Amino acid sequence: MSDAALEIRGLSKSFDKKVVDDLDLRVAPGELYALLGPNGAGKTTTLRMAVGLTRPDAGAIRIFGVDALADPLAAKRLTAWLPDEPMLYDKLSPAEYLGFVAGLWRIAPAEAAPEAERLLKWLELWEQRDTPCEGFSRGMKQKVALAGALIHRPRLLILDEPLTGLDANMARAVKDALRAAVEAGAGVVVTTHILEVAERLADRIGIIAHGKLLAEGTLADLRAQAGSDALTLEDAFIRLTSAPQ
Amino acid sequence: MTWLMRRLTPGGFLWLMVNEIRLATRAARQRRGGNIIWGLLITVYTAMGFWLASNLAQIPIYPSALALNLVLAVAVLAMSFMTTQAMLRSQDTLYQSGDLDLLLTAPLSPRRVLLAKLCGIVANIMMVFAAFTLPIALPVALLGHPGLFGIPLVLLALAMLSACMGLAITLAIVRVASPRTARTIGQIVGAFLAAGVFLASQLLSQGPGRESAGRTLLDWLMRHDYGSQGPASLLGLAAFGHFAALVAVLGGALIAFLGAGALLGRVFLVSYQNAPTRLTRSRGKAKGGIARHFRQGLFATMLAKEARLLRRDPQLAFTIVLRLIYLLPIALPAFTHGRGPPLLPALAFFGILLAGQLAGSLAWLTVSAEDSPDLIAVAPVEKKAAGRAKLTAALLIAAPFALVLPLAVATVSPRAAIIMLAMTGASALAAGLVELNFQRPAPRKQFGRRREGSFLVGVLTFLMTGVLALLGGYLVWLSG
Repeated sequence: MSDAALEIRGLSKSFDKKVVDDLDLRVAPGELYALLGPNGAGKTTTLRMAVGLTRPDAGAIRIFGVDALADPLAAKRLTAWLPDEPMLYDKLSPAEYLGFVAGLWRIAPAEAAPEAERLLKWLELWEQRDTPCEGFSRGMKQKVALAGALIHRPRLLILDEPLTGLDANMARAVKDALRAAVEAGAGVVVTTHILEVAERLADRIGIIAHGKLLAEGTLADLRAQAGSDALTLEDAFIRLTSAPQ
Repeated sequence: MTWLMRRLTPGGFLWLMVNEIRLATRAARQRRGGNIIWGLLITVYTAMGFWLASNLAQIPIYPSALALNLVLAVAVLAMSFMTTQAMLRSQDTLYQSGDLDLLLTAPLSPRRVLLAKLCGIVANIMMVFAAFTLPIALPVALLGHPGLFGIPLVLLALAMLSACMGLAITLAIVRVASPRTARTIGQIVGAFLAAGVFLASQLLSQGPGRESAGRTLLDWLMRHDYGSQGPASLLGLAAFGHFAALVAVLGGALIAFLGAGALLGRVFLVSYQNAPTRLTRSRGKAKGGIARHFRQGLFATMLAKEARLLRRDPQLAFTIVLRLIYLLPIALPAFTHGRGPPLLPALAFFGILLAGQLAGSLAWLTVSAEDSPDLIAVAPVEKKAAGRAKLTAALLIAAPFALVLPLAVATVSPRAAIIMLAMTGASALAAGLVELNFQRPAPRKQFGRRREGSFLVGVLTFLMTGVLALLGGYLVWLSG
């Protein structure tokens, strides 16, 4: 069996209470996995542990076979993280920001500059490439951050609520970018509150509550687990997350 | 405050005013930190006030010409600081407060909102000046000099007038400059005012007569006797509890306050509505390729980023310069002909200290004040390597400024210049390493108000650079 894009085994994390509890998760290369859950379910903490921002109490994380806890730098080289609050510098323009991110991932300028130009044009930021990000709308900032996430051609993309606050055009651009990444063989993990997005976009969906994975699979699998083939994802989600633990 | 708000009509002026005062007190508490230390200091200061009051209890205090001129001199100096503070606060209100969108979309008149905001500014000013004045003034008033209860009321009147002036200056800057640049210009003007008053007082105290600025002003007022006659005497009389003077001073301040609310309300609304939200800071149409923004390697990337961020934030750069201005008085004794320390060792001491402080400030900005720490954390870069690259960037940015004095000294004494260069480098590196290893991270924008982070780290940086500066000065002195 080939290496998973992301493989999580027995992951646990507590702050003042258990936030993630013995979680297992596997995302294949070329797969878009949507992680759903109510507020405080542990989605963001799980993703932050996967990208190395939060240290797990227990468990293992492998990214394309690389042990992310033992060799975090090697894992980070393969990964891009896009949180709901874009990681930007207000005083830098999109072009300068991409130059900075490319430098962090040590992409050669000769390779990074054309890729940045392609991304900026594709995400319709080319005309604003020299304008500082501080005046941008949330959607535009999110697109700059997305370009930053894509510039080093990650093999695993992890996105936390990437569509929050975006208008239809921008949301479409982000969804296209994610699908393109999946088609190029990357693994993509997204959390979203917009169930319709998960329903249309995701190859597989995981539902998490109280730090545990309650259900996982395609939409049909989830319907079956929720007890009826006629349910929408929203119905299945509510039924699964409101069931007694 | 919350208890009081529950008893007031929601949305009414008093309710809004109490809310602003509540916000001002909480912000001050948060800025100040260390409530126990402050509480102790105020307690000790108040105890000193009571000790002084018990000694003055039997001594008559009356509004003599000297006393009235003294009150006027203190009031003029206090108002210069109060107006600066009011300017900075009003800029916060216009450009940094997150609540104006809420307040101005609520069914409230902008004039009412502005007046409530002005009350918040007054509260902010009062908290600072009351802490200095009242622990002494109130005990003296309590123990035999009830007329001095006029002092807090005069303080209130001064704060109200300063708030009006500060807001008016801010709005004038907004009219003259663009709303976006107004904040930076205003903060620089405000900082210059404060630094100007400070430097003037220091220069005067270094002058032939070594008078303080306050003493010079008092002498001038006494010569012309402004404080004990005419309208200017009202302030002094009010401070001594003269009823008619109190009514005149407070009434005048209140009229100015309400007048400012009425006159500036419309200007305030227009300036807020014109404040930029989107895409207003375009540097012209984008043109050309983007390859120039891409660098080979981590260090070049970090240096380019930090230099750009600093260049694009003149307010931040100015804050650093301002901190250095406050160190200038240390160098002044070197220029007092014949009476101060020898010039070259003093310059060496000052230059090395300055370089350390500058490098420390820049190192704090590059190392600790990272707006996107998560971006660095998820990048495949070792934390130590990122820290080293940032520190080197800080030192390189500081170098052109830190090298001015050693190069100037080189024209007189190359040997002294070499010692200065070595010690300047050591001081800058030591300050940077302290920041790198001990400082707490904080958002970059907080540097504009104060240098966030551990007080102890700040003291440690100052001590280390001070010791190296002393050593450098001593070595230059030894070198002859």
